[in-house]
Amino acid sequence: MSRSFSDRRRFFLFFMAAPAVLYVLAVGVWPLAQGIWYSFFNYNLLRPARTKFVGLGNYVEIFSDRSARQAIANTFQFTIASVSLQLIFGFGLALLLWRDSRFNRIALAFLLVPATITPLVVGLIFKALLGADYGLVGYFLADAGIGPRTGFLTDAGTALWVLILIDCWEWTPLMALILLAGLKSLPNDVLEAGRTDGATALQRFTLLILPLMLPSIFLALMLRMMDAFRVFDSVFVTTGGGPNDATNTLMVLAVKEGLQFFNVGYASAIGNITMLFIAVMAAVLLLVVRGADVRINGK
Amino acid sequence: MSKVSKRQIVFERTAVLVITVLFLLPVLWLITTAYKPSNQIFSIPPKLGFQPTLDQFRGILSYFDVVSLLRSSVVISLGTTVLSLLLGVPAGYALARSRSRYANFFAYFFLAIRMVPAIAALIPFYLMMRDIGLLGSWWAVIIINTMLNCAFVTWMMFSYFRALPRDMEEAALTDGCTQIGAFLKVAVPAVRSGIIACVLFCVMFSWNDFLYPMFLTTLDSKPISVALLTAYGTKDVTWGSLGALAHFSTIPIVLMALFLNRYFVQGATNGVQ
Repeated sequence: MSRSFSDRRRFFLFFMAAPAVLYVLAVGVWPLAQGIWYSFFNYNLLRPARTKFVGLGNYVEIFSDRSARQAIANTFQFTIASVSLQLIFGFGLALLLWRDSRFNRIALAFLLVPATITPLVVGLIFKALLGADYGLVGYFLADAGIGPRTGFLTDAGTALWVLILIDCWEWTPLMALILLAGLKSLPNDVLEAGRTDGATALQRFTLLILPLMLPSIFLALMLRMMDAFRVFDSVFVTTGGGPNDATNTLMVLAVKEGLQFFNVGYASAIGNITMLFIAVMAAVLLLVVRGADVRINGK
Repeated sequence: MSKVSKRQIVFERTAVLVITVLFLLPVLWLITTAYKPSNQIFSIPPKLGFQPTLDQFRGILSYFDVVSLLRSSVVISLGTTVLSLLLGVPAGYALARSRSRYANFFAYFFLAIRMVPAIAALIPFYLMMRDIGLLGSWWAVIIINTMLNCAFVTWMMFSYFRALPRDMEEAALTDGCTQIGAFLKVAVPAVRSGIIACVLFCVMFSWNDFLYPMFLTTLDSKPISVALLTAYGTKDVTWGSLGALAHFSTIPIVLMALFLNRYFVQGATNGVQ
């Protein structure tokens, strides 16, 4: 730091950052703060005159209402299952695509198509494909006696798992892409040394590749976890939360409460709880990965 | 490089090919559905063969003003992208070059904003827009999309600019270049690919989103994503016409992503390095 950091430079940088910060505060943070405020009221847009301060009442109701509890459980099941499946499949896919070739680059471009398609359309595609009475996939599976006669998406036992698989279809390639970037930035000499030392493929994977990949795995898990926990589009279109709350998630519940029944206070509380869960999960993920890093890579 | 057996490469490529085809089959189904006559889409048992027809497209064009839907989508996506870049690129630069202790905090604050669940801000924002009379206009959607995207652009550009050595700009500054000149003529061109990645993400996000426009637009300002949702479930719209409508909503974005694929890859992975 030989050159002094002039006041002029400091002012310039300040004015470069100021518009974005002010904009996000005004359009993002202000509504969020208002949302926290609303969550302490029994506030319905259709009956604004009956607005009443209820303190933590809305939050208590979330945890005592059976349907909301189910939505919390569903959201966790969805997030944990889909993100771990995507990690496993995505890692496998990344290893397959590791060798740099024209073939692999073109394949990757096409593999990313699901991630670019409107999530709404993704939901509609699978809804049509999986219908038991007419769907191309659903009909034959039902005919072969695999799965419920009413179709996978309309059966309470399978619907959530179908949504998890749809999520995997859409996002596994993106997971693979992030992990692939990690694989490509691994130091070549270390891998080479492992090979000349005669380590088996499995040993190289668990003892060399995996520990070195921890930062990429962390990033991929974090990004996907945050998105999966906010899942809305595909659920809303395919099942709308049904049958019987079997696929209700926190976001679907909040949108229904807030924008269909105009229960602003309750919906805001659900939104805030979701944010809180995401923050806690991010913190836990951070601690787990730190712990793993210390255990595997030493200090 | 160590030698790799031919057999292993053949195995890898076959596996990649099979997986790619499996991933693309549902998309292929959607595309072909649009060219099937209505009575052949759902025959029982389902059939693979069909006689191609453009009936579905004719139907769609008579129900929907596709031009107006596309115009809304384009206005919303372009408006969002331009505003997000105008706000986000300078902010990302400032945070990357700042020597303040708080720079990192602000960068992660922007990332956190992008991760907030839509609904938490949507209801208060909806009331805000109602009060200032912007509800139902493209502006309402552009304003909230810009908030989310400029937060994301700031964070992405922060990591791009941070990876860029300071030397060139500092040389330009000592040569008498103005601060803004050093930014526009030296730093921005050097992170071109990062900016293209940001454009791709902004366009993709605002083109595909339907939750905000569904509640913030009216009949004549709604984009194609909302039309898809309202079309689904009305009696006279079949899966075939949905497939046809989906052509207009997915093909522009998929083509863009395929052509700019290199930047897509860079953008999605720049956090790793």
